[in-house]
Amino acid sequence: MILFKRTFILFVIQLAGLTFCVNAQIANHETGYIQTDRTVYVAGESVFYKLYVLDATSKKRSDLSKVGYILLRNANPNPTLKIRIKIDSGLAAGSFVLPDTLTSGVYQLIAFTSEMKNFGERQFIHKEIVIANRFDKELNFKLINSGSTDNSKIHPADVKPEIKTDKLTYGSREKVIVSLGKTNSKANVSVSVFEDPGIASTDKSIAETLAGLSTVQPDKKVLNTYLPESKEKIIRGRVIDETTQKTIKDATVLLSCMDSIPNLQYAVTNSNGMFQMLLSDYYNGKELFFTIKDMPANQHWKIVTEDEFALSNTWNPPLTEIKDNFKKFIDKSQNIVYINKCYQLNNVLIAKPVADRNYICPQLYHCPVSTVLLSDFVQLNDLPEIAVELLPQLRIYNDNGKYSARIMFESSNLYYDKPAVFLDGVFVDDLNKIIGLGSEQIKKIDIVQSERAFGNLIFEGIISITSKSNEILNTTPASYSLRIKNDNFNQGGSFVDVNPDSIKDKNIPYYKQLLYWNPNLELSGTDSTKFEFYTSDNTANFIIKVEGISDDGTPISASSTIQVNNKLNVTVK
Amino acid sequence: MKHYLYFLFLLICISINAQTVKSTEVSESDTLFLPKLTGQTYIERKGYKGEQYFYDDWVDGDILLSTGEMLHGEKLKYNGLFDELIWVNMSNYRQFELDKSFVAEFWLKGIRGATIHFKRINLGEQTDTHPSEIYAQIGVEEKVSLYIQRKISVVGDEDIYENGKLYNIKSIESKPLYYIKLPSNNYLVLRRIRRNAFLKLFPEQKKTILKLIRAGHLNFKSEADLIKVIELMNEKGVI
Repeated sequence: MILFKRTFILFVIQLAGLTFCVNAQIANHETGYIQTDRTVYVAGESVFYKLYVLDATSKKRSDLSKVGYILLRNANPNPTLKIRIKIDSGLAAGSFVLPDTLTSGVYQLIAFTSEMKNFGERQFIHKEIVIANRFDKELNFKLINSGSTDNSKIHPADVKPEIKTDKLTYGSREKVIVSLGKTNSKANVSVSVFEDPGIASTDKSIAETLAGLSTVQPDKKVLNTYLPESKEKIIRGRVIDETTQKTIKDATVLLSCMDSIPNLQYAVTNSNGMFQMLLSDYYNGKELFFTIKDMPANQHWKIVTEDEFALSNTWNPPLTEIKDNFKKFIDKSQNIVYINKCYQLNNVLIAKPVADRNYICPQLYHCPVSTVLLSDFVQLNDLPEIAVELLPQLRIYNDNGKYSARIMFESSNLYYDKPAVFLDGVFVDDLNKIIGLGSEQIKKIDIVQSERAFGNLIFEGIISITSKSNEILNTTPASYSLRIKNDNFNQGGSFVDVNPDSIKDKNIPYYKQLLYWNPNLELSGTDSTKFEFYTSDNTANFIIKVEGISDDGTPISASSTIQVNNKLNVTVK
Repeated sequence: MKHYLYFLFLLICISINAQTVKSTEVSESDTLFLPKLTGQTYIERKGYKGEQYFYDDWVDGDILLSTGEMLHGEKLKYNGLFDELIWVNMSNYRQFELDKSFVAEFWLKGIRGATIHFKRINLGEQTDTHPSEIYAQIGVEEKVSLYIQRKISVVGDEDIYENGKLYNIKSIESKPLYYIKLPSNNYLVLRRIRRNAFLKLFPEQKKTILKLIRAGHLNFKSEADLIKVIELMNEKGVI
């Protein structure tokens, strides 16, 4: 009986532990919301976005993920645009330019973090936008059926700060002063003022989005847990046998990239043949060279990296015919884009300051080296000749066309036969590929004559060759190596609110459909917040839309409208 | 029947444990992507009589790298004779002397119950006998700082016959050097803890410092007294 009791207590403790673990995982789960400056664009225009990444439980801004992904797609399986963004304390703001070759239609913006992948694609952040090609006058595409979406529905949890404008109707090129009522606590909101497209919107507010969330469990289909990218981007991949398609465990995958110094990162594949590496800012915009260390002979291994943007589900929303009034709106938008292009007024973006290049290079060594500058000596034809004439500590052997190098250690005067060879900072998978490099191509050679440790890896000496014109790019990777481009983070640009008085030539038409965009308006919570902008020559109804989240996790959503007439006889409120 | 029930409970407990493994994977992100230590294979030099190390045993230590990254719980030893930090890689049990320019600071834990904090300091000038960069224990780090180099020096040698061969054996012992860093970033060296030697380093502040020593009832014969004097100098703004 005692044994039974003990076993039962043990069972209860284990069950409690499991519940805690599951809860902890759910508590870590992220959700979010994306706001864009508008919902209707002409191809070639910029989309300004603000991404909120929130803790699914508390709805407070999540501090977990530092990297986010945004992609744009339509019904086609391949995304039309993919960007990687930096997230700071649950917020990210920026812009991207829509390719001007996009066909007219409905598109879906999808934003997600690596951590969200654990819960399946249904948990990603979605938003639908309409894009019209500038030259498409037929406009024979369809819109999403907005259904019976009731946007006036009140969500008890949200805060709707009052939006007050100094007038209801404004003339062209006139200043608009907006006062945003107080919220109960500090908050960060994004504000956009854009022309009302005059169609029923499928766009959900942050409050509606968060109210629609349900408790989710990790997706069982996800084979491996995606680690949250709490520092930098994590690249994932596998080593597989090309012939059997089986995954290879315990393979050491090396990563290096072109630089003036040898650099290295490595990972060992797990039982699923999977490896993960942290890609710091150092790798931004660089070509990544992957290879396998000590690749066994006569094996057909291959490195395959995961596409972080890959989606398994396609998107086929129910569509309905486009209405005439919306066609007119798009026609107007196309004309405005055309006018602004003619007068070169489309450049409302200014580039953000270049981020500090404050990255850490994963240097292979931090010790003194023997350096030979080839320009100090007579012309030599190839690497074996250079070794014979200039580098007594280096021996190059030719075994039936297969070249290998040996380095003499300073401490023992013995030659060791497995030195690591680097060309332009990149680990060379086969010496034969660079054996023909001579004084014409090589700038300098650095040699480390000792057994070196790099983490758990050991190299019997190091030969680092720096070429005059990046010869590494002319080499072909071995079948077990991989070369891929790592895109930069999207930095985008910020919206510039142009004061019409600053335009010297008053005869230039000044038409804008986006009057104001501020992705980071901080609300104190105790006082109302003011902001101002200018109208343009575009006479229309404009929507002032405010979306955001307070520090305590309360969603903030509000909207109002103003009218812009091209006449000066405006009514004072 | 009873035994069958026990077995069933145990089986459930084991299966629960097996399921919880996945959720703990999340914490891997902190340990999976740690920076990699770099260094060359360390082979202890023979032919010395005495202790080469600041502390003979391997101790747990933390390392602050020059990149600003931190590593915790590495097995370390400090060789005072060659001023090298020795690391044993626990995955292959091989010893390496770490690249000095990659190590900014390190902490050796559990040495006589205390944690000793070392820092790589740049003395500015390099001579054949004096490297420009050394590891030194931090005594005081303020406006006027005190760094203690735990130097092991050769104090003599002798020739001995062993197995019919003649060997030269060098005697080594601990000879700490005290580096006082001034606000101007210049270093003053104190080879022995002697009051007069210390006062000679500060001829202009000699009287004030003497007063501080007397007021603090310091006999100036131990490292603790030296540290106390430097602390008092900082407190009273002597320099």
